[in-house]
Amino acid sequence: MEQPLIQAIDLKKYFRTRKGNLHAVDHVNFTIMKGKTLGVVGESGCGKSTLGRLVLRLLKATGGQVLFEGKDIFAYSDEEMLGIRKQMQIIFQDPYSSLNPRMTVSEIISDPIRVCGTLKTKKEIDDRVYELMDVVGLAERFVNTYPHELDGGRRQRIGIARALALDPRFIVCDEPVSALDVSIQAQILNLMMDLQEDLGLTYMFITHNLSVVKHISNEIMVMYLGQCVERASSAELFSTPLHPYTRALLNAIPLPNLKSREMAQIIRGEVTSPINPEPGCRFYSRCPAAKTGCTGEDIPLKEVSDGHYVACTLYR
Amino acid sequence: MTEKLLEIKNLHVIYETDEGTVYAVNGLNLTMNKGETLGLVGETGAGKTTTALSIMKLLPEKVGVMKSDCLTFGSYDIGGASKEQMRLLRGKEISMIFQDPMTSLNPVITVGDQIAEVLEFHYIDKAKASISGRVDEILELVGLSPERKTDYPHQFSGGMKQRVVIAMALACEPKLLLADEPTTALDVTIQAQVLDMMKKLKEKLHTSMLLITHDLGVVAKTCDRVAIMYAGEVIEMGTVEQIFEGDNHHPYTVGLFGSIPDLTKIERRLKPIEGLMPDPTKLHRGCPFYARCPERLEICETKKPGESPADSHMIKCHLYTKTEGQLQEGMQ
Repeated sequence: MEQPLIQAIDLKKYFRTRKGNLHAVDHVNFTIMKGKTLGVVGESGCGKSTLGRLVLRLLKATGGQVLFEGKDIFAYSDEEMLGIRKQMQIIFQDPYSSLNPRMTVSEIISDPIRVCGTLKTKKEIDDRVYELMDVVGLAERFVNTYPHELDGGRRQRIGIARALALDPRFIVCDEPVSALDVSIQAQILNLMMDLQEDLGLTYMFITHNLSVVKHISNEIMVMYLGQCVERASSAELFSTPLHPYTRALLNAIPLPNLKSREMAQIIRGEVTSPINPEPGCRFYSRCPAAKTGCTGEDIPLKEVSDGHYVACTLYR
Repeated sequence: MTEKLLEIKNLHVIYETDEGTVYAVNGLNLTMNKGETLGLVGETGAGKTTTALSIMKLLPEKVGVMKSDCLTFGSYDIGGASKEQMRLLRGKEISMIFQDPMTSLNPVITVGDQIAEVLEFHYIDKAKASISGRVDEILELVGLSPERKTDYPHQFSGGMKQRVVIAMALACEPKLLLADEPTTALDVTIQAQVLDMMKKLKEKLHTSMLLITHDLGVVAKTCDRVAIMYAGEVIEMGTVEQIFEGDNHHPYTVGLFGSIPDLTKIERRLKPIEGLMPDPTKLHRGCPFYARCPERLEICETKKPGESPADSHMIKCHLYTKTEGQLQEGMQ
């Protein structure tokens, strides 16, 4: 039987700005089953990275709960949190700025081990570092090099090794391949899928690139201005996208073949301000199917078919 | 009838840095016809941007050294042009859109003044009013309200900033536009808007465009011909139909297409190209792709492949250069 590992309930994060409350994440709910991957997709500013940080309690939520194996992690004390953190790790987007330039590869990978004190002797730690480097496909000769000596793909492998150092069960992957070239991207994605199979990891995979997320996710959540507008299994979302925004997003991807050469319908306008948004659909101003009922009150997510949720007045 | 606009033969660019010599472009050949959009595709470090900077002669002074057998643009000989001659060409005949719209605008000058700058330089005798009118016109062309010309760059979103940059580049209606990853920093929905606009403007102003990108999807949407670069060389060049639908390809091109996740198919694993780009500080004797190539032959390690066939669909690979004449070319 599938068991939930991570559950987010009515999660909210507002940032206070001079102009008012910026609704970065607004009433978001989701569940990630053990060993599965949830893809979180959206354009810049939709709150996907903030959501990732909230789930790990790297940011303090304005409201809501995050349950890890059924227990609310916001209720833990800082010491208790350290224990939980061993099981929840993150891989960052930019392999250039997320590694300390003054630490060697071995120091970076062993840093979490030393912080949490899971291994004591130098021999044990060194052995573990070599083991991790082997797992992520880094040659042993790089053990004493510094990040600047390595290329982007190898640096991202260091980031992955560091995230794996404490044998976590859950990893938030925040755009782990968007800074890499396509040929290297495919290498890293394959590595992450292999690791998931071998170690039974659970992923929350954050990206702006729908084509990347299709391959790795079981379920995909599409976000727009802090809200989840559609959630469905990966296959379902790509075969029958329902929300106009999801459709626009799928349409906007330039495909590498000549069949789609004619420009598909392009959505107009740009993302509106997330500061003190009016109640109602936040995609309203750009939506080709907008009508009067779309404003005035928030549109809740509705299950339209088994496991397929959408927040749109078209499917009421 | 096709007319050649840009012709580059055997271009070499090296960067003399403290850490040694970097061989950025190694014997690049490229031709562009009037009115066409040529996609220049390659990964980081392939030498795409260096090629564009060479055409503009904007390589970093002293560090970047270029030499070529031929570098002509229309009737101009860029290879031999002086600084003053280049200054008159840039912005008027050839202009460039840089990758990052966030950093290519001056933050303390209003966007209207930034667009006017290029007009004032190239049309010294024009009256203030007519320049101002032209600024309004060009802003409207890229889909921005002329009222916003008194705003500063930080007041615009990323997509709008890129529109401003495009407006600057097109203000003098250049014959050639070099667009260096113009949409890479933008979100997909905005990317679609900007690409669509660039395509329309290009037709309207009869501009030719060299579009530099790493995204084959963008190429499929916008380009007439494609040149694929690897380690400072064009390793395959042809029409979009030849590149996207043809049967013969350079093994690197095959690998590049294989690495892209296919949205139309359900497959669990991707097929990456194993290994990494060759070190640009070392010159290779044979084919630059040798170490990563799944179809390498013995000859590939020691001999550079020639271009075959040289005219329409060019593939620079020993698999396709089996005729005598081309083999000799490869031996040089």
